[in-house]
Amino acid sequence: MIAAKYYLLLSAAVFCIGLFGILTRRNALIFLMSIELMLNAANINLVAFSAQHGNLSGQVFSLFTMALAAAEVAVGIGIILVLYRNFDDVDVTTATTMRW
Amino acid sequence: MAGPLEFAPAIAALPFVSFVIALFFGRYMPKKGALAGITATGGSLLLAVWTYFAVMGNGEPHTEHLHTLVSVAEPFSLELGILIDQLSALMLLIVTLISFLVFVFSLGYMNDEGETGLPRYYAGLSLFSFSMLSFVMASNLFMAFMFFELVGLCSYLLIGFWFREDAPPSAAKKAFIVTRFGDYFFLIGVVGILATFGTSAFIGTGGTESFPALAEHALTGSADHVHTFGFDPQTWFTILALLVLGGVMGKSAQFPLHTWLPDAMEGPTPVSALIHAATMVAAGVYLVARMYGFYALSPTALAIIAFVGGFTALFAATMGVVKREIKQVLAYSTISQYGYMMLALGAGGYVAGVFHLTTHAVFKALLFLGAGAVIVAMHHDEDMWKMGGLKNELPVTYYTFLAGSLALAGIIPFSGFWSKDEVLYEALRLGLNDPVFMAAYAMGLIAVFFTGFYTFRMVFLTFHGEPRTNIAESPHQYGWNMKAPLVVLGALAVVVGLINMAPLAKLTGMDLTYLHHWFEHGGELLTVEHYHHLLTEVSGVHHVESSTGLMLGSGALSLGLALAGVAVAHVLYNVPSPEEHTDKLGSIKTVLFNNYYQDEYQVWLAEGLTANVARAANTFDQGVIDGAVNGVSSVSLFAGERVRKVQTGVVTNYAALLTAGLVVLLVAMGLLGGWF
Amino acid sequence: MTDPVSAALGLGGYQPLVPALLLGVTALLVLLVDTIWPNEQSNTLLATVTIAGSLASLLVAGAQLFLSPEAATLFDGQLIVDGMSLFFTVIFTSVTALVALASHDYIAERPNQGEYYALVVLAATGMTLLASANSLVTAFVSLELASLPSYALVAYLKDNRGSAEGSLKYLLIGGLSSAVFLYGISLVYAVTGTLKLTEIATVLDAGIDGSLTGVLGIGIVMILGGVAFKTASVPFHFWAPEAYEGAPAPIAGFLSSASKAAGFVLAFRVFLTAFPTSAVAGVDWVLAFEVLALITMTLGTFAAATQEEVKRMLAYSSIAHAGYALIALGALTGAADRLLVGAGMLHLLVYGFMNTGAFLFIALAEQWGIGRRFEDFNGLAKEAPVACTAMSLFLVSLAGLPFGGGFVSKYFLLLGTVLSSSYLLAAALIVNSALSVYIYARVIKAMWIEDPVPGRTIEEYPTGLYAAVVVAAVVTVLLLPGLALFTDPAQLASNALF
Repeated sequence: MIAAKYYLLLSAAVFCIGLFGILTRRNALIFLMSIELMLNAANINLVAFSAQHGNLSGQVFSLFTMALAAAEVAVGIGIILVLYRNFDDVDVTTATTMRW
Repeated sequence: MAGPLEFAPAIAALPFVSFVIALFFGRYMPKKGALAGITATGGSLLLAVWTYFAVMGNGEPHTEHLHTLVSVAEPFSLELGILIDQLSALMLLIVTLISFLVFVFSLGYMNDEGETGLPRYYAGLSLFSFSMLSFVMASNLFMAFMFFELVGLCSYLLIGFWFREDAPPSAAKKAFIVTRFGDYFFLIGVVGILATFGTSAFIGTGGTESFPALAEHALTGSADHVHTFGFDPQTWFTILALLVLGGVMGKSAQFPLHTWLPDAMEGPTPVSALIHAATMVAAGVYLVARMYGFYALSPTALAIIAFVGGFTALFAATMGVVKREIKQVLAYSTISQYGYMMLALGAGGYVAGVFHLTTHAVFKALLFLGAGAVIVAMHHDEDMWKMGGLKNELPVTYYTFLAGSLALAGIIPFSGFWSKDEVLYEALRLGLNDPVFMAAYAMGLIAVFFTGFYTFRMVFLTFHGEPRTNIAESPHQYGWNMKAPLVVLGALAVVVGLINMAPLAKLTGMDLTYLHHWFEHGGELLTVEHYHHLLTEVSGVHHVESSTGLMLGSGALSLGLALAGVAVAHVLYNVPSPEEHTDKLGSIKTVLFNNYYQDEYQVWLAEGLTANVARAANTFDQGVIDGAVNGVSSVSLFAGERVRKVQTGVVTNYAALLTAGLVVLLVAMGLLGGWF
Repeated sequence: MTDPVSAALGLGGYQPLVPALLLGVTALLVLLVDTIWPNEQSNTLLATVTIAGSLASLLVAGAQLFLSPEAATLFDGQLIVDGMSLFFTVIFTSVTALVALASHDYIAERPNQGEYYALVVLAATGMTLLASANSLVTAFVSLELASLPSYALVAYLKDNRGSAEGSLKYLLIGGLSSAVFLYGISLVYAVTGTLKLTEIATVLDAGIDGSLTGVLGIGIVMILGGVAFKTASVPFHFWAPEAYEGAPAPIAGFLSSASKAAGFVLAFRVFLTAFPTSAVAGVDWVLAFEVLALITMTLGTFAAATQEEVKRMLAYSSIAHAGYALIALGALTGAADRLLVGAGMLHLLVYGFMNTGAFLFIALAEQWGIGRRFEDFNGLAKEAPVACTAMSLFLVSLAGLPFGGGFVSKYFLLLGTVLSSSYLLAAALIVNSALSVYIYARVIKAMWIEDPVPGRTIEEYPTGLYAAVVVAAVVTVLLLPGLALFTDPAQLASNALF
C-alpha cells in the first residue's frame, strides 16, 4: 500500500497547479478549469484517506463534490456568457469598470 | 404615602409629553408648540419646587427603581432608577426654572420674529429638558451616560436649527464631534466602572452598595468584589476617574475640549441660554459632584480637575477680552466660569462648586437672554461695535443685564461675588498646603481681573456711549414675553447669592451658610461631611484652618481685582465714542500704547501683553487644537485613499492577493504553532 | 421537539427541519407558478408566494426558538437544529421576506422573474441548512447551495456591465475560496478520519500524532479561508465591493446581510464545535480571527471613508461590519466567551435589518434613477422624507449611535472585549466606529442639509419598496429597546451552542 504522505504530496501538487493556472491565465474558462483542478486535489485526499481510515464518508463526499463542481461550472458558464455579451471578451482582466 | 417624591418621574415625563406634542401636532397649534412646552416645564417647575421642599422636609434621599435593562447576574446588571437627594433636588429646581423662562422668552425671540420650523425648535427644546432632567435624576452612572448622550444630541439639533445657513450646521457638527470625543473616554470609564465594581449606582440600596462606597472599602481595607485588573486600587480608581472626566471636560467645555462652545453660539440665543450656559454645560460639573464620593478618593484626579479648571478659567477669560460679538464674549465667559466650578470641586470645595453652579446658571442665563433681547433689538446684528447707547432705549434690558454683569464680574453683593469668592477661598486654603493647587488658585485669581474687564467692556460698548449705527439709535422694541424672564432672572441674580454668605457669616458670627447646611443632610454617604471625611482620611488632602482674616483677605483681594477690571473697562470704554477716546488716550500715552489704538482689537495693555497673550491663546486654540482635530481626519482620509487602491479592479490581482494573504496566514500560524 | 405546525403535518422525526423544508417547497412553488404562467403578469403572485413562504418559515423557526430550545440531531448527526440554527434562520428568513417585498417593484419591468425569486429562496434554503450543518459534508454542500444562486443573482441585470463584472468576480473568487475550503476539509479528514464536527472534536481531544499538527493546522486555516470568503473578511473580501456594487440593490442587501450571517454561523459552528481551543493547542485560530477582525474592520472603514458612491461605501462598510462581528471569535479567551458569541449573533441580527434596509433604500434610489454619488442624494429629504428618515436611522444605527439596535450590539461586543481583556480589539472597535460616524454622516448631510439637485423630480413612490424600507427601519429602531431590555447575549449563546 502506498504511504499516505504521497497522496498528500500528489494532491498538494494538483492544488498548486490549479492555483498557478488561476494566477497566470486570463481566460475565464481556464480559470474555471483551474478551480476544477483544485477541487479534484481535495477529492484525491478524500478518497485516499477514506481508504486509509477505512471508512466511506470521504469517498461519498467526493461524489458530492463532483456534482457540486458540475453545478458550479454550469452557473459559471452562464456568467461567462453574460460577460462575453457585455465585454465581447472572456478575458477576466478586461472587466475592470469597478475598482477602488 | 403618595408624597411629592412619588411624582418625581413626572418632572422629566412632562417635557417628554410636550416633545411628542410639539413634534407631531406643533404645526397645527397657535404658537407652534410653545404653549405645550411652557405648560410642561411650568408643571415640572412646580413639581420640582414641591420635591425640593419634600426633600427639605424628610432629609433622606429618595430612590426608586424603574426598570432593569439587562440583568446578567454575572457580572452585573444595568438599571434605570431615580435618585432624589439634596443635590439633584437643587439641580432639578435650576433646570426647570431656566427651561420654563427660556420657553417663555422663546415666544418673543422665535415666534414674534416669524421664524419657520418652530415645531422642530420646541420639540428639540422639550426633548432637551426631558433628557437633562432625567440625567439629573439618574440613580446610576450608566443611566447618566445614556441621557448625557441624549442632551448632546439635542444640543446638536438645536445648534444646527438654522441648517440652511453655512455656519450653524458645521458648528453643530463640531459640537457633536468634540463632545463625542470626550464621551468615548466616558463610555470606556462606564464600562470600566461596571467591570470593576459590578455596579454603577450612585447610592446603595437594599443590600447593594454604591460604587464610590465599594471603592472606599477597597482603599481602606477589604477589597472584596472589586476587580482592579491587576492595578493598585488607587491607581486604577484614578484611571477610571480620569476616563469619566473625559466626558465631563467635553460637556463642560474644559480645555482642551472647549473649542465647540464658542461655535455653538450659532444656535438661537434662547438655546444658548438654556443649553450652552445654564444646564447642559453644567452636566459635566454636576456629574463630578454627583460621584464626588469617588473623585474624593483620588488626590491625583482632584489635582488634575483643579488645575485644568484654573487654567481654563484664565485661558478663556483672556480670549473673551478681544471678541467683537456679544455672544462670543459670553461664550468665553461661560467656559471660564465652568473652569471656576471645576477648580472648586478639584480643590475639595464641593459646596463652593455647586454654589457657583447655581449662581452661574441664574446670571449667565440672564446675560444670554439679555443678549438675545439686544440682538432682537439690533435686528440680529451681534457686533458690539455697531451698538452703543442702548441704555436709554432698552431700560429693562439694561438694568437686568447690568445686574447679571455685576454678578458675573463678582461685585459685592451680587450673587457671583459670594460664590466665586468661596471657590477661590477653598482653592487658597488647599493651595497654602500644596503648590499645584496654589498655581490653580493663582490662575483663577488673575482671571477675576479679566472677568471684570471683559464683562464691563461688553456692558459699556453695548449700552453706554453714543449709538454707533442707525439701528442702535432706534432699536426694535419687543414685548413682555422677553422682558418678564429678564426681570425674574435679574431679581434672582441679585439675591441668589444670599443662600451662602460665608464671609459675612464669619464676620458677624451669624449662621448664614444655608447651602452648606443643606448639603449636610441626605444619604449618609452623600453628605458634605462624608466627602470631607474621604478627603482628609482616605486621600490625605488637607485644607489649612479657616480663619476670619484669611477669608476676608481672600474676599477683598478678589473683589479688588474685579473692581480694578471694571475700572479699567470704565476708563477705556465708558465714553461716548470709545474708539476716539482710545485714540486720544493712545496719543497722550504714546509710550504705553504706542499709537496702536486703531480698532477694538488692541486693548489697553499694549500689544506686548494682553493682546498677544490673547491672540496666542487664540492661535493655539485654532491652530493646534483645531489643527489636531483636522489633522486626524486628513490622515484618516489619506490612509483610506491608499487602502482603497488595493482594490485594483482586476480579478487576477485579487486572486493573487488572496493567495498571498492565505500564505502569510499559514506561515505565521505555522511559526507560532511550531508546525514545521 | 414538537411544535403544532409540524405535528399537524405529521412530519414525524423531521419536524425540526420544517423551516428549511418550507423554504425549499417555496422555491419549487415559485418555479411551478412560473411554469404555469410564464409571463410577466405573475410578478405579484411570485412575490406573494415568496414572502408567504419565508414568513411561514420565519414563524415556525421563531416558534421553535421560543418553545423548545433543546437541540435535535437528524440524519445520524449530519444536521443539528438548535438555538443557534433557529436564531440564524430567523435572520435569513426575515431578510428574504424584506428583499422579496422590495424586489416586487425593483424587477417589475424585467424578465425572468420566476428564476429570480426561486434563486433567492434557494439561496435562503442553503443558508438555513448551513446553519444546521453538523458535519463538514453538509456544511460544504449547503454552502454551495447558498453560493451558486447568489452568483447567478448578481448577474441578474444581464445587459448591465457592472452586474456581469461583479458576478464574474464573485464567481471566480468564490470558486477559488470554495476550493480552498474543500481542500482544508480534506486535510482535516486526513488527520481525523471523520467529517462530523462533534467526532472531529472527540478525535482531537484524544490527541493526535504530533507530526500531523502541521497538516491539521493548514486544514484549519484553509477552512478559515472559506469562512472568510463567505463573511467577506480580509483577505478574502475582494469580491465584495464589486459584487455588491454591481448587483441589483436588493440582492446586494441580501448578500451583505444574510449571506454574511451564513458565513458567521458556519464559523461559529465549525470552530466552536469541531476545534475547541483546548483540543487544538498548536493551532491558535483565535489569534488568526483576532488579526482578521482588526484588519477587516480597519480596512473596511478606511476604504469606505473615501468612496464617492453611496452604494460602494455601503459595500465597504459591510466589510467593516464583518470585522466587528469577527470580534466574537477573535476575543475568545475564556473570560467572556458566551457574552461574545451572543453579542456577535445579536450584531448579525441587527445588521440583517439595518444593512438590508440601507441597500433597499439604494434600490429605491436606483428606481428613481438619481445616480449613485453622494452629490446625487443632495436634498433628497425634501422629496422623499419618509425614505430618507428611514435611511438616516439605518446609518446612525450602523454607526453605533443609540438610535437603533446597532448601538446595543456594538456595546455588547465592546463589553465582551473588555471583559476578555482584548484591549486592542476594543480600541479598534471604538476608533473605527468613531470614524464611521463621519462616513455615514456624509450621506445624512447630503440628504437633509444640502440643496436639492436642480431639475430632479421623483414621480413614483413604489409601495413594496417603501414598505420594505419602513419595516426594516421600524425593526431597527425597535431592536434598540428590544435588545437592551429583553436580551441577554450570554444566555442566548448558551442556549444556542454551549
